[in-house]
Amino acid sequence: MTELLSGRVSFDVGGRSILQAVDVGIREGECVAIVGTNGAGKTTLLRLLANVLAPSRGGLSLRGTPYNQLTARQLAGSLAYVPQVRPARVPLTVRDVVLLGRYPHKRRWSFGYEAADFEAAARALEVVGAADLAARDMSELSGGECQGVYIAAALAQEAECLILDEPTTYLDPGHQRQIAHLLERLIRRDGRTLVFASHDLNLAFALADRVIALAAGKVVAAGPTADMLVTPLLEQLYGAPFHVSCPAGIPVVSVDLSTRSVIGPDRAPDGAPGEETT
Amino acid sequence: MKRTFLVCVAAVWVGILVLGPFVGAHEVGLGELAAGDAVASRIIWQLRVPRLLLALLAGGALAVCGAAFQTLFGNPLAEPYTLGVAGGAALGAVLAQQLVSTAVVGGLPVVAVASFAGALAASSVIVFVARRRSTATLLLAGVAVALTSSALILFVQYLADFSRTFRMVRWMMGGLAVVGYREVLWVAPWIVFGAVALFLMRRELDQLATGEEIATSRGVDLGRLRMAVVAVVSLMVGALVAVTGPIGFVGLIVPHWVRRGVGHAHAWVLPGAFVAGGAFLALCDLLARRILAPADLPVGVLTAIIGGPFFLWLLLQNKYR
Repeated sequence: MTELLSGRVSFDVGGRSILQAVDVGIREGECVAIVGTNGAGKTTLLRLLANVLAPSRGGLSLRGTPYNQLTARQLAGSLAYVPQVRPARVPLTVRDVVLLGRYPHKRRWSFGYEAADFEAAARALEVVGAADLAARDMSELSGGECQGVYIAAALAQEAECLILDEPTTYLDPGHQRQIAHLLERLIRRDGRTLVFASHDLNLAFALADRVIALAAGKVVAAGPTADMLVTPLLEQLYGAPFHVSCPAGIPVVSVDLSTRSVIGPDRAPDGAPGEETT
Repeated sequence: MKRTFLVCVAAVWVGILVLGPFVGAHEVGLGELAAGDAVASRIIWQLRVPRLLLALLAGGALAVCGAAFQTLFGNPLAEPYTLGVAGGAALGAVLAQQLVSTAVVGGLPVVAVASFAGALAASSVIVFVARRRSTATLLLAGVAVALTSSALILFVQYLADFSRTFRMVRWMMGGLAVVGYREVLWVAPWIVFGAVALFLMRRELDQLATGEEIATSRGVDLGRLRMAVVAVVSLMVGALVAVTGPIGFVGLIVPHWVRRGVGHAHAWVLPGAFVAGGAFLALCDLLARRILAPADLPVGVLTAIIGGPFFLWLLLQNKYR
């Protein structure tokens, strides 16, 4: 398998290092999950991969060609990005939003959209199961439907690699499951390359072939999913007690949120909580 | 729906262009014009037709600039007047009226040259301050420039003598009183160039609807888009304010109204705004000339009087936040 995305990147903001020499190697057709605490640099790494940001040092390559030797449009033909934060109010219909994904394929002098664009948009909506929403206003959609539409827009872009930031955050369990199934289909059936960041470790472990764990802008561990699914590693990464079980052969990771371990019977109630986790 | 809206507005535009010259303080009929009446011919061809053309061009330009700014800044209140471009132009013009004694330089009114320079200076400041920053910073820089230039205008007016202050205040009201075609021919190339240039950026402007991050990831160069839109708008507004003085609210109301008719795709919004803006300003000007006839109410006063309440009404409509 050839490496679709590769390189080493660092990113600073105002003298503060966000990412330090993070090595990236994403092979064609694989699914990579990026995990880590808030502020670990997950979103920054995704933005660098999606060419939304330029690295402070180092650089990335698409199939061996450095990003800076490709035009932004050429990159967009191979990389589609679905960020977590999006405008609250989009005055467009679902179809319009999905058609916007066709931008990298449009010429400056062409007017409007062609049949190929409408077909790509319709196919994308079909894949995410939102074909019946096409004529609806974005403002009428639920959070889960909205996420599906943005993924459809990324699909309409016809890029082989999808980059998603927190694809299931803020969604209810039912919609989380729907999005997880959608992503699974895209990987297993359509053979897409997928890179996503998530706090949902179960999603990460269920979908990803490989997991990259970031902490404070550095890669602390990276490897095949099975190797990363170990309690000590997770506890070190997040500073919280974890429990991994394997009912029916599917690993389930859960963080121990109970307060008993902090305010135990042997502790005074006014003892400093949280000390245990540091 | 989109097509019907655009066709209707275009029909009104053509109607105004054809019938407009026959409306005014002095009754001039087609018969008199056909009979070769010298006075009628002068009124129509030297006063009313150029004034009407200027209104159609100016209104169109203001609306197109407003539409582009609203999208670029993601803010429904953005237009050249709220963002200091027109303020800079007005400051330039007022300074010229106060400081320069000659009326004409290089065949052009001093005021025109100065306001053009003022618009460019204002937008240069905005672009310089916000060069590598977010769109929100650009918006705030624009507001800062607008407030500073209006304060400086007041300062200059305070220093000026009575008759000059009067002229400045008059000019600040914004009007379309022209004699002959010189001004029209002077602004037309800037406006046509600007409108075409903005139309060529329509897809990039469309992309901003789902946010700057997605737009960038799809290959829109936001830095260049910002610079290009601000530069084009200041060229258009600078040239325009030079001739008409600041005319507010057209750039604010018309794009909002047009979007209700044609949706949000800029391939429709920009041409729609150009035609609707021209028709709107021309109608306002016809009305302004009738209200106090034979006196000539500056159209900027009327657009502001109509514009404020109309805009409030638009905001109360359910589709707007």
